[in-house]
Amino acid sequence: MDVTLWGTRGSLATPGAATARYGGNTSCVGVIGRDGTVLVLDAGTGIRGFGMTIDTSVRRVDILLTHLHMDHIQGLGFFAPLFRADLEVHIWGPVSSHISLRERLMRYLSPPLFPVSLRELPCMITLHEVPCGEVAIGEFRVSSTLVCHPGPTVGYRITDAQGSVLTYLPDHEPALGSSVFPSLPLAWTSGGTLAAGADLLIHDSQFSAAEYPAHIGWGHSSFKDALAFAELSQVKHLVPFHHDPSHTDVDIDRLMHEAMAESRPSCRVTTALEGATFRI
Amino acid sequence: MTSAKSIQIILARQLANCVATPMLLVDDQNALIYYNEPAEAIFNQRFDETGEMPAAEWTSRFTAVDDDRNPIPPNDRPMGRVLAGGTPVSQSMWMRVSGGDWRHLHVTAFPLVGEKGQLFGAMSIFWAI
Repeated sequence: MDVTLWGTRGSLATPGAATARYGGNTSCVGVIGRDGTVLVLDAGTGIRGFGMTIDTSVRRVDILLTHLHMDHIQGLGFFAPLFRADLEVHIWGPVSSHISLRERLMRYLSPPLFPVSLRELPCMITLHEVPCGEVAIGEFRVSSTLVCHPGPTVGYRITDAQGSVLTYLPDHEPALGSSVFPSLPLAWTSGGTLAAGADLLIHDSQFSAAEYPAHIGWGHSSFKDALAFAELSQVKHLVPFHHDPSHTDVDIDRLMHEAMAESRPSCRVTTALEGATFRI
Repeated sequence: MTSAKSIQIILARQLANCVATPMLLVDDQNALIYYNEPAEAIFNQRFDETGEMPAAEWTSRFTAVDDDRNPIPPNDRPMGRVLAGGTPVSQSMWMRVSGGDWRHLHVTAFPLVGEKGQLFGAMSIFWAI
């Protein structure tokens, strides 16, 4: 599968010269299977660019939302394929105990926040609430579980026909409540089973280790904890993701350098850069 | 190797780790999957030593009687009642582990229910009377 990072920023789109290299668009990752299956992981502002690359010959697109915070859905209304009547669009998102996924999405995709209502979109939309066990989407097998982040939030594990695994945990705080992380086995760690042995792990790394103590419970990880989680999960390649809006490109370089020097992870690490593509 | 835990169970354990109240956590089959450090005094053993235990094993370690000294079988104790009925239970009882002293405790147990109504297990807290 080919995995392209269309938006790497967390919380708020952050355009400008200081963030031009790692990118200012919020979370969106495009996944293209060998058979042409198209998955969109989250619908942050990065989805707009991805939508422009999807050929009109594509008949189905699956959008996998980890949660419904604005930085993960704000681009949805600007995803051009939604305006194609011949396109089947499946939107997968976390279940809530009281309000359906459709109702929660419509809070954004309806006036006054957005001029077009979800029901007015010309494409053929089907909504699916997750977690719902393992599902087959084209050549992929996709599983999800709830993870540690405020509000219903899932992570995804995507396995292709060759057995390659991509794990996507863009907003994740596995260290919450742990005095020393990681202190527990993988089975007792949020997101652990999703990430176990993954070929590529895209994981939250919003804060520096120094910033994290002031943000405990916000649902995000430090670079250091992202590296520790990757080690615990024995992933092959970690992509630290969901950069804090206040971090410039220079800051991210420095924070990554410091965390790598301290942690010395055994897996490969490539900080998420908007536009980067990984083939696994 | 323990099986993968749901986020509800993981967070319940994290909570138990952060409080001074004895807490005990079971899965939906009443297997004991965690008890915190304050609860180790009740068990008379550290969790690191016992690890997870099936229902029959951990419930047999305790003798429990009500305030009138009538024996309380495992299924009638708070955790068993919570898992069977799906509602919180609170009761006082006398408990002891084999060879230990009797402790007069008030036990409150409640179910851990997911977004779709699925029962993940139960948690109980112990107060010395």
